[in-house]
Amino acid sequence: MKRIGLVLPDAPQYSETFFNYKIKGLQDTGFDVIVFSGKRSNDKYFFKHYGAYPVYKGKPVKQFFQLSFIILVTFLKSPSKVKNLFSAERKDGNSFTESLKTVYINAHILPHKLEWLHFGFATMSLKRENVAKAIGAKMSVSFRGYDINIFPLKNKNCYLKLWKNVDKIHTISDYLHAKALKQGLTKEINFEKITPAIDISLFKQKDNLGKIKNPPHILTVGRLNWIKNYETAISAMKILKDKRIDFIYNIIGEGIELERLKFAVHQSGLNERVFFLGKMDNKKVTEKMREADIYLQPSLQEGFCVSTLEAQATGLLCIVSDADGLRENVIDEKTGWIVPKRDPEAFAEKIEEVLELTEEKRKIIAMNARQRIEKEFKTEDQIRKFKEFFDE
Amino acid sequence: MSEKKITVAIYSGNIPSTTFIENLIEGLSESGLGIYLFGKQARDVSYKGDVKIFSTPVSDLKLVIFVMKESLKLLFKDSQLFFKSFRKIRSRKKKLKIFFTEAGAILPILNNPPDIFHIQWAKTVEQYPELFELLNCKFVLSLRGAHINYSPLNDINLANAYRKTFPIIDGFHAVSEAIGNESIKYGADKAKIKVIHSSVREDLLKKSAELYKKGKPLKIISIGRYHWKKGYHYALDAMKALKDDGVNFKYTLVAQGEIPEEILFMLDEYKLHDDVEVMKGMSYEKLIEKLQQSHLLLLPSVEEGIANVVLEAMATGVPVITTDCGGMSEVVKENINGYLIPVRNPRLILEKIKEFISANSDFKASMIKKAKRTISEEFSREKQINDFKNFYYSLTR
Repeated sequence: MKRIGLVLPDAPQYSETFFNYKIKGLQDTGFDVIVFSGKRSNDKYFFKHYGAYPVYKGKPVKQFFQLSFIILVTFLKSPSKVKNLFSAERKDGNSFTESLKTVYINAHILPHKLEWLHFGFATMSLKRENVAKAIGAKMSVSFRGYDINIFPLKNKNCYLKLWKNVDKIHTISDYLHAKALKQGLTKEINFEKITPAIDISLFKQKDNLGKIKNPPHILTVGRLNWIKNYETAISAMKILKDKRIDFIYNIIGEGIELERLKFAVHQSGLNERVFFLGKMDNKKVTEKMREADIYLQPSLQEGFCVSTLEAQATGLLCIVSDADGLRENVIDEKTGWIVPKRDPEAFAEKIEEVLELTEEKRKIIAMNARQRIEKEFKTEDQIRKFKEFFDE
Repeated sequence: MSEKKITVAIYSGNIPSTTFIENLIEGLSESGLGIYLFGKQARDVSYKGDVKIFSTPVSDLKLVIFVMKESLKLLFKDSQLFFKSFRKIRSRKKKLKIFFTEAGAILPILNNPPDIFHIQWAKTVEQYPELFELLNCKFVLSLRGAHINYSPLNDINLANAYRKTFPIIDGFHAVSEAIGNESIKYGADKAKIKVIHSSVREDLLKKSAELYKKGKPLKIISIGRYHWKKGYHYALDAMKALKDDGVNFKYTLVAQGEIPEEILFMLDEYKLHDDVEVMKGMSYEKLIEKLQQSHLLLLPSVEEGIANVVLEAMATGVPVITTDCGGMSEVVKENINGYLIPVRNPRLILEKIKEFISANSDFKASMIKKAKRTISEEFSREKQINDFKNFYYSLTR
């Protein structure tokens, strides 16, 4: 049986459907999956799980003994792999201590015999670029949004070592791959586009497709983060309100920008129309989606955006920004509408336009969206593609 | 004034405090008031006037000894108050360390009560609610920016602490009329609110700035720390539009700290790297120099009390475009001594910049002159200190 090591920041919890589906799917198609995360834990999972050894910040003595002990034990277990990784790090020009540290932070991975070492995010591969080779595995990585679009802005050229070592790349959108090419990735490296998928059975189509409530219910689901650009949506709502168009705008999600957004709502005089519903579990989100009419995704940047897929599956009228991955997620005028990001007037106009469409026209768009999701974003396809990805 | 000298505690929790509070301390002490300072002391400070410092030590051991010493002092001075204080302080906190921190903050104040206890940051009322029951003096609270305008919107506990405390405050110092009105929502008595504007260094009025000449790049500047309320993302939207319209310009952003991801992302997305210069915080002197080399100051904020940087630009002779938030409209009159535009609207920032570019030089000169007059008449240090003094005396009478 082929064995895949999946490196993630945390072991996916029960509610994190995305990675759970992927892991289960791979298991079902005959792979043995081991998850390597940043933290050791005693929780029970349906997959094997190994956490990284702890880093004791500000406790140099404790860290020294822990590091020496773990490296010694790992060395006794798999001397050649430790040696391989250490010398590869030295060859890359890292100091003796730095190289030892790299051995330590990868000590939970080294003893395993793997066919593939797959990094769930590009950022997860930092300081682990030589691990796959050291243990005789092939190395692959997934591109999401943040790790390709945002992280390198602050950390210029951070992936040069990754590009040198990676064997295969999984990207969720063409856009991200193109962007990585600009960051030094070469065209010769194999890549596969596998978009996120959703379990369509969980997203029942809403009743009365194309009908709109009075007042219309608008919805966005996502973390309250600047990347999602809720301020543009809120400004659009103010424009609608000033035009005396009635509506309710619900935002599901939590995050560090709540204060900023609540102030924007308050300042725009929208306390009676815009509501922050906080974080909700998947079931609650599907219910809320079925109650909504229009789905907004005003993001500045998106890898792909699963919520927009879910909204389309539910039969909502989706208005999204032209941010990278979203342009592949929604087909303008066919399964929804795409408007320029950071343009509140454009969002407001589009909402107005959608409200003025005939019910028949709206129904066609909603049905197109559902059909496209059913056809092109099936979980079975995603699993099959991942199987092929690792089968090669 | 022939009245007896009164003592005022200027309380911010830290010694020394922020620049504008330090300026206030200096001015008030030199005007003949007795000033008390309480709080943690980060370094030595010296003032010309009558300033007494009662600092609370930071290290654990020193703090414990300090609390014991201050306790004994209070026990001998006023045993009833001593027992009451301990009951109050203990009733709320469980952790020993927090107890000592709190006792260390409150006891020196009870041992050295001023005539007026002037709280600089409104959030203090949530931190030490006991103080209002224990300390027998007049309480003044400053109403400044975020503490009033948006923090309580997202923090119910803070809003409740305001609602509980504001009705028992004797006087409010509002940095602008707008913020005074905002505080009424939390139970502040309108009659007790006194608007006292902050002041600007007078020597700035004698300075002048570079004038914009057609055909040369327009130098626009924004100054202030990175924070969402500063609205720099709206400024960058406007700069992108300005660039698309082919305007010859250079935008300088001077801000302390690490550049946030959001700003980095927008610079990259809009490809503004050559048009926007991002500078780290710098000394006050350097900042003024930088300001003097600019043609236009832009304040794109969504929230402010009254932004000092706008006052400084006006004093120095740099034309300003500011959003109409907080008390900004109390300073800047549209098309008279500057430009005033609605918040959250990059398109209007763009239009105003273009309007400035095409305005004739006589108009620009008169705008600069009027701005300087506004500052010298309404934001002078002399006026500020006098206003405070009168305000304090009116409360003790």
